[in-house]
Amino acid sequence: MRRHSRRIFNICYRFTGNRTEAEDLSQDVFLRVYRTLGSYRSAHGGFATWMTSVTRNLLIDHYRRTKRDRITDSLDDAMPVVENKQSSARRPDEQALLGELSQQVQSALTRLSPELREAVILRDLQQLEYSEIQTVLEVPEGTVKSRINRGRIELARILQQMGVRPS
Amino acid sequence: MKWTCEQTELYLTDYLDGALADDLRHAFDAHVNACDRCTPLVSGVTHALSGLRALPELETPPRLVYNILDATLGPRETVTGWAAVRAWIRGVASPRFAYGSLSLAATFLMIVTASGFNWKKPRLADLAPSNIYRNTNRQAHLAYARGTKYVSDLRVVYEIQSRLRQDNELPTNNEGTVPESSPQKEPGRTDGTSPSTPRQQNRANDANPSLQVLAEELPVLSTRLCFVLSEGRTR
Repeated sequence: MRRHSRRIFNICYRFTGNRTEAEDLSQDVFLRVYRTLGSYRSAHGGFATWMTSVTRNLLIDHYRRTKRDRITDSLDDAMPVVENKQSSARRPDEQALLGELSQQVQSALTRLSPELREAVILRDLQQLEYSEIQTVLEVPEGTVKSRINRGRIELARILQQMGVRPS
Repeated sequence: MKWTCEQTELYLTDYLDGALADDLRHAFDAHVNACDRCTPLVSGVTHALSGLRALPELETPPRLVYNILDATLGPRETVTGWAAVRAWIRGVASPRFAYGSLSLAATFLMIVTASGFNWKKPRLADLAPSNIYRNTNRQAHLAYARGTKYVSDLRVVYEIQSRLRQDNELPTNNEGTVPESSPQKEPGRTDGTSPSTPRQQNRANDANPSLQVLAEELPVLSTRLCFVLSEGRTR
């Protein structure tokens, strides 16, 4: 359970960008898995893939539920990014820059649309195969590829808008 | 092959994943190197990807697993009173814990004893860090000095043994040769003792200064060495 809980927690955190929400969502995922364990069939793919599907469905539900709150918070969210950008000149240390880049990438990730975000997370962070992502998202492989492609391009554009440029 | 900016966007993922055929990859490279719009796009996406892959994997919060277990299997029974004490003793009484505790106690005793703590007359001041340091330092120096002295004594003893062995192994055909400088060879000896052989006399003359030094350096062997010296003189 510890192995799965770490993976699920990371997916939730990368999707929401919030530690507390990620923790609550991880707990909900395990609760749902526990309740619906009888419905699992090996035809759905591996157990990990099935758990990822459950996680994804919960994340989408959570996204829709909290959409209104996020709109009102979007202006507040922009402020820390600006502050980070200003403080970057004071921290020449490479490790600090790497940590700052991670923060900026995480911030950019949460600005992607949920369809693109989940595709990018599953491919580039969880290193899933296209066929596994296809099972999780329940869309054709061509759509998976297209979402990953658009997600990466969109992420690069957001990072550029935030002032993060390749060195 | 004619390549457009739209194709660059379309094939970008395949290109970055290394899944593009050779001819398409060459066309892709040729276009990106010449296009002002596609060059920053490819470098930007590559940078974003490297940033994504550098994101650290987070540790699970410590309470998460317990919360999940509580939510799925129900809250654990809380034990209070004597039952809690009995449960605690049951956990402590395991062989692994006992062995670990004994090892820890033995190590502590050894360290305290080595630091010069007097178990017969224990004083709280002996456990002060400065006193422990001073006593340990003194004990270490004493042990070092004793060790050095012991090694030195051993070396001297081996030296004597090897020298005696060398003397015993001298060839017998030299028995009749007499060194000219030997004072025992002088005629007209009037002390009434029978003159020793020249070989024995030479050995005694060589050994005496060394044995005198040895007797001063090595008090333990002084009695025996005095006897050897006196025996040498009587010869």
